[in-house]
Amino acid sequence: MVSQHGILLAISIISDHFGPLVSKVCGCLLRHGPLSLQDIIRRLQLSSGQVKNSLLVLIQHNCVQAYSTPRGSGDKTVTLYLAIFDNVLHRLRFSKFLSLVRVDIPESEVLLEGLLQNGRLTFDQLVGRTISKAPEGSPAPTREEIRMNFNKLVYAHYVERCPRPEPFFDPLADEQPTSTRKRAPKAVEIVLSLEQKILRTAALSDAERFSEIPYFMEGSSNANEHDNHAVAGGKRKHEDLEVDEEDSIIAENEVLWRTNFEKFIFCLKKKFCAERKKTKLKLGTHVIWEAFFEANVTNNDSKTVTSPINRILERVGQKEGGTSMTLDQIISVLNDLECISTTRNPEDFTFDLNKLVEACRNDEIESLVKKKHGQEAYTIFRLLLKQGCPVETDEITDRTILDKQVVHGTLYKLWKDEYIDSERVPYVSGTGGSQFFVWRVKNTYREQFIDHLYHTALNLRHMVNNLAELLLEGTKDETKLRNRKNILVLALTRHDESLMLFHDF
Amino acid sequence: MPPRKRPAPPLEDPTPASRSPPADQPSEPSDSATPTISQSILAKLPSQERQMYIVIFEAGSKGMWMQDIRKKLMLGPQIGNKIARNLVSMKLVKEVSDVRHRSKKVFMATDFQPSAEITGGTWYHDGRLDSDAVAAARRSCKAQVERLGVATAQMIHNGILRDNPNAGYTIDKIRDIVRTMVLDKVLEEVKSTGEGEFSSIRSGTVCYRVAWAAEGGMMEGIPCGICPRIDECSPEGVISPSTCVYYKKWLQMDF
Repeated sequence: MVSQHGILLAISIISDHFGPLVSKVCGCLLRHGPLSLQDIIRRLQLSSGQVKNSLLVLIQHNCVQAYSTPRGSGDKTVTLYLAIFDNVLHRLRFSKFLSLVRVDIPESEVLLEGLLQNGRLTFDQLVGRTISKAPEGSPAPTREEIRMNFNKLVYAHYVERCPRPEPFFDPLADEQPTSTRKRAPKAVEIVLSLEQKILRTAALSDAERFSEIPYFMEGSSNANEHDNHAVAGGKRKHEDLEVDEEDSIIAENEVLWRTNFEKFIFCLKKKFCAERKKTKLKLGTHVIWEAFFEANVTNNDSKTVTSPINRILERVGQKEGGTSMTLDQIISVLNDLECISTTRNPEDFTFDLNKLVEACRNDEIESLVKKKHGQEAYTIFRLLLKQGCPVETDEITDRTILDKQVVHGTLYKLWKDEYIDSERVPYVSGTGGSQFFVWRVKNTYREQFIDHLYHTALNLRHMVNNLAELLLEGTKDETKLRNRKNILVLALTRHDESLMLFHDF
Repeated sequence: MPPRKRPAPPLEDPTPASRSPPADQPSEPSDSATPTISQSILAKLPSQERQMYIVIFEAGSKGMWMQDIRKKLMLGPQIGNKIARNLVSMKLVKEVSDVRHRSKKVFMATDFQPSAEITGGTWYHDGRLDSDAVAAARRSCKAQVERLGVATAQMIHNGILRDNPNAGYTIDKIRDIVRTMVLDKVLEEVKSTGEGEFSSIRSGTVCYRVAWAAEGGMMEGIPCGICPRIDECSPEGVISPSTCVYYKKWLQMDF
């Protein structure tokens, strides 16, 4: 469930991008969960047309997923609309997605830009847009060139085919293990939220999602290699080509494509982890750390990065000072960097991103506690986190070797700020008095921190909008205002890293 | 969940200290030297003084709070104080300060030395934390770790003893200090792998090295991150970002 300020932030983003009406519909879905068209109309007191159009905009921009579900005990079904909070938030980081592609596949940037701006498009629409956007004076790209650049995006999984528009999802049947659930082994199956279950139902298989637009023109001899719809052997070649041509026409004119946010978030996660650890590396190990990430092969999950030693060696060799390093040296440094190879795959080195992400999350919260309440609060908070159970006041004093009065004052500050909880334990006989207190970190401190993150982002956006309005009104201090707005925009961009760290990574 | 530690009832533990005594208090008697109550002294005391002396003596090195003595002997405040004063003037009992409850009057038989629980231990002086001593010990520990790169508590202790034989720290005290430094993220706790930088340390041994400072997020740089009134803040509220004094100060602007 999204926290209160998370919903307000999402509404603010949608309101800025699509106006108040669409944001009302989005807010209604975020607050109440999946609703039918009639329910939305009733709750918002808007006309059917207004709600329908708003839903269409939200679906077009991947912020809402429709699905049908059984109504009553009969065979009747009803269409419900589910707001996808994550995708709304991703709208904050489109510039980051674009810059990733700019570095990786610069020739395809304009295509991704089209998809980000328009949500979902057919290839045909993308071609039209790309040709019209071609800079004056330079020759317009051909359809073949655009197809090639587009397929590069699909091949790299930056772009995917849109999920099913209205899958059938029965929450009751979902309780039972179904054939789709069998894919994940039971031991690692995690509890999915309703939103995740619906999105999983709507998702296409990986083969379908990333099936490139088939080539059927001359010079595309490797067509079958890319074609997932390749027919079984034994058919005549011209039949293959006919199927290809038909598939290609469908893929170009009918199939809707969209940005694959998962891939971008994984790339940003990798980048974040690489950067965070980089500042803490010893002299001479930077080269290997960089080479490890550059040599990364496609991963099956978003939790780890795996690179084969051959590719790491190749990359290290290309770097300054890398040629003089021996294999043993590199392996020793990789082990120090917690890049582990297993006995099953001694050639592959894997780094656990999630472990680093978790450490970074703790660092951010603890660091804020320090900034807000001082060094003593930091020490006590870390002690309580480490203990993970209630700790008595005197024990806190003993373990932190801090002055008792300071400990009392600090515990009160942390308690008031809702980081920790206290419990009064009665004590009948003895010299210590009639009661004493035990303290522990609140179970909800992470959720509170995330809500605080959303609230901060919301306030930053509010300030940016305020300044933008002032700039529009016109003022003599325009340069000053513009500089301040830039500071806020920059802060918002950096703050988004924390949002991703806690929500998306 | 029960707390890890509760104040132990005084009468159940007549030994001078329930915890292991700190080595910097050599006067702490060993088991063989546990003081026993002198019958000749008891014989000389009037009835009420005798009863109070027995109760205080039994409390041992932890002493006893005046209110608990009165409760036990069912005495009024004035009588209780008067008897206690008499015992103090006879030099049979002394008043000690309890580091945990500075305002409480705690009495202890003169035969005992206050336990670490009462005095606070090495890092306390006259019932107050000796911040300078703690800071000095931390500096010494950090210097040793910086010198060695990676070190166990024993290695840190040995290094300090070698550099300053008069420092007088026990290994336990060094461990306590090092643990607080880990909490402060000055040091980090790692397990030796027995290879590379750990080659001089047996594999699996807990050791320490200098930690990197925690990297905070943008929240620390934005007024809202450390705002004490954030819970009352909303766009249309009395406290709102558009009228926020912290933002005003941050952006150096007039609204």
